Amino acid sequence: MPTQIDAEQADQLFTAKPLAYAGAMVIVLISVSLAFLLHRLMPHANLSLLFLTGVLIISARTGLGPSLVASVLSFLAFNFFFTPPYYTFEVADDGDVATLIFFLLMAAITGNLAARMHQEMIKRRLSLQRISKLYEFSRHMSSAASTDDVLDTLVDHFTHSLNCPVAVYLPDNNGVPVLRTGTNLPVPLTATDIKQAWSVIASEPLMQDQWQLLPLITDQEPVGMLVMNSEQMDSEQLNLSRSLCQQAAIALHRTQLAEDLEQVRLVSETEQLRSALLSSVSHDLRTPLASIIGSTTSLLEYGESFSSKNRTELLETVVEEARRLDRHIQNLLDMTRLGQGKLNLRRDWVDLHDIISSAVERMRDRLKEWPLNITIGSDVPLLWVHGVLIEQALVNLLDNAVRFSPADGEITLTARYMDNQVEILLCDEGPGIPPEEREKIFDMFYTARQGDRGNLQGTGLGLAIVRGMIMAHGGRVTAQGRLNHHGTCMQILLPAGPSENSEA
Amino acid sequence: MANETILVVEDEAQIRKFLRISLEAHHYTVHETRLGAEGLALCATAQPHLVILDLGLPDLDGQQFISRLREWSNVPIIVLSVRADETQKVAALDAGANDYVTKPFGISELMARIRVVLRDTRQSTATQSLFESQGLQVDLSQREVSVDGNPIHLTKKEYELLRLLIAQPGQVLTHRQILGEVWGPAQQEETHYLRVLVGQLRNKLGDDPANPRFVITVQGVGYRLAIPLALDDQSQP
Repeated sequence: MPTQIDAEQADQLFTAKPLAYAGAMVIVLISVSLAFLLHRLMPHANLSLLFLTGVLIISARTGLGPSLVASVLSFLAFNFFFTPPYYTFEVADDGDVATLIFFLLMAAITGNLAARMHQEMIKRRLSLQRISKLYEFSRHMSSAASTDDVLDTLVDHFTHSLNCPVAVYLPDNNGVPVLRTGTNLPVPLTATDIKQAWSVIASEPLMQDQWQLLPLITDQEPVGMLVMNSEQMDSEQLNLSRSLCQQAAIALHRTQLAEDLEQVRLVSETEQLRSALLSSVSHDLRTPLASIIGSTTSLLEYGESFSSKNRTELLETVVEEARRLDRHIQNLLDMTRLGQGKLNLRRDWVDLHDIISSAVERMRDRLKEWPLNITIGSDVPLLWVHGVLIEQALVNLLDNAVRFSPADGEITLTARYMDNQVEILLCDEGPGIPPEEREKIFDMFYTARQGDRGNLQGTGLGLAIVRGMIMAHGGRVTAQGRLNHHGTCMQILLPAGPSENSEA
Repeated sequence: MANETILVVEDEAQIRKFLRISLEAHHYTVHETRLGAEGLALCATAQPHLVILDLGLPDLDGQQFISRLREWSNVPIIVLSVRADETQKVAALDAGANDYVTKPFGISELMARIRVVLRDTRQSTATQSLFESQGLQVDLSQREVSVDGNPIHLTKKEYELLRLLIAQPGQVLTHRQILGEVWGPAQQEETHYLRVLVGQLRNKLGDDPANPRFVITVQGVGYRLAIPLALDDQSQP
């Protein structure tokens, strides 16, 4: 707080006189001693210059009073010690009288000048500091990111630079002013007073005893109200306070607009997510239902005329689509549980062979048109996992691979042990995923956002669930391109055995 | 009768399957594809009598498919859509689709729509001057209308509206289509004109708006002329 110290220094110069006067006397004493040393070497009239120097030093360092005292003392000392007759205040030579009178005049004038210059300098320094403080204030204001930043800067400036603690009221959602900062200021105003003040503050600043109420106002409307104790303020400081309030108001207006915008963005994002969920759920539940209703009504209405092969095909469709519906519903349930953090891991030692075989068994119908190659390394250890969840993750990945695979596209599943981790790699020969989308596909509803046109019809939940379940086990899942091959590899890395960070 | 060719453009294999089985049982020849581009090519090579089109295709937007096909072909199109959204249906109909069915649907509903659309194209090729359905008689050459034998006097616009509905009996006409035909392209957004006119027409035909016999409201889409859908024609096996 350099400004405050300088202000105190200035105060000392003008008010704490005893020290300055003592200093003046000491300087005169030193001048006398020096003059005694030198008076044999130079004419006594010239010794007055020595005293004059002392007076100048005093006036340059202190104020008018001490410099006048110093000049009178120097005058008397010079007269007493160094003008004949010595050790009297009488003066023998007329020339000496003139010297003395001129000395007194010069001491008074130079002392006055030096003191004034000194005061100017202090004032300059103070105002320079005030300006740089103001500059810093407005810089802070214009860069403040939030309402709280603005208020902190404002209160800080008032407290430290103007030495005046303040309280700031901002309107809440209902337009009622609420104390936001400066709670330690004992404002003797009731809530009713504040409300009343708020209703008129836009048109006129208010005074109550020594309490000054200033509006934080932009050209539209008041955005806040500042209360301060203006007892020790001069009009310049009051003006300064008003302009500070104005700057703060502009900054507040800006941050509030930004916060409103952010709010709107959040709301619209949630809205988007909600409608993506709805359209995805409605699309993905209805599509299998359309097949089921279409097939069953076909059988009911015209079944007699169908060949038995066609009847079986239609019945198979019904079963397949009912299973697909079941998977969608399972996914939705899983997602809800993952989203609510209600996934309880019931870990146990599980053989990866068992997980893979039961996942493949569940997907048998879907997989029958695609050759599936499974290789499991002999060194793959038992896994410390919740088997059903890993199985579900594999089912979702297999479902995904099937959906992307061209007719006869080979699907390979390999598992191996490396670096204390178990890697499960599921590769298909589908169209592949562009590198920039390989992370996004794990976002909820990513496919849903592509609308009906995406090749990847699904809830957009499957991969998000895979990631959720694998991450709950402290593992990772990523999509990778294939070298010299089109298609995609989904890589799951699971820590082998219990590790400290694997608990979800 | 049948032996007409139907093209199914639908990306869900299961839906294609039951459509093919049911349609073939009705002696239609069926071509199918899951891609819009392929569908457009098949329209040119196979010359289908009808296209059944799913609006959610992997490669093309259903709307695009319709407008591209309409550039060179008048083959009737029935749209399938899981979207309950009216604007989608209206857009498809405005683009030139003849009718739509919302998924999930029962097979008989689709069959009825197919019969209506096919019968309509067969009829329109042979110019017919007399229309008759459920007691409504319209002599298109004499501009005479009667209900249950009683002559009805219609204003020019009322007659125009009825004529439009008769031209494609059983098929939906969107608000825009009717407004454009009766009032001209500049008035295509003035739905209230249409509501008033439909009210007047129903009134003169003695039609109960709550349970209409002739002019059926398709909420949010348009109007269609009621024809007995359950009426089987010869294509029933």
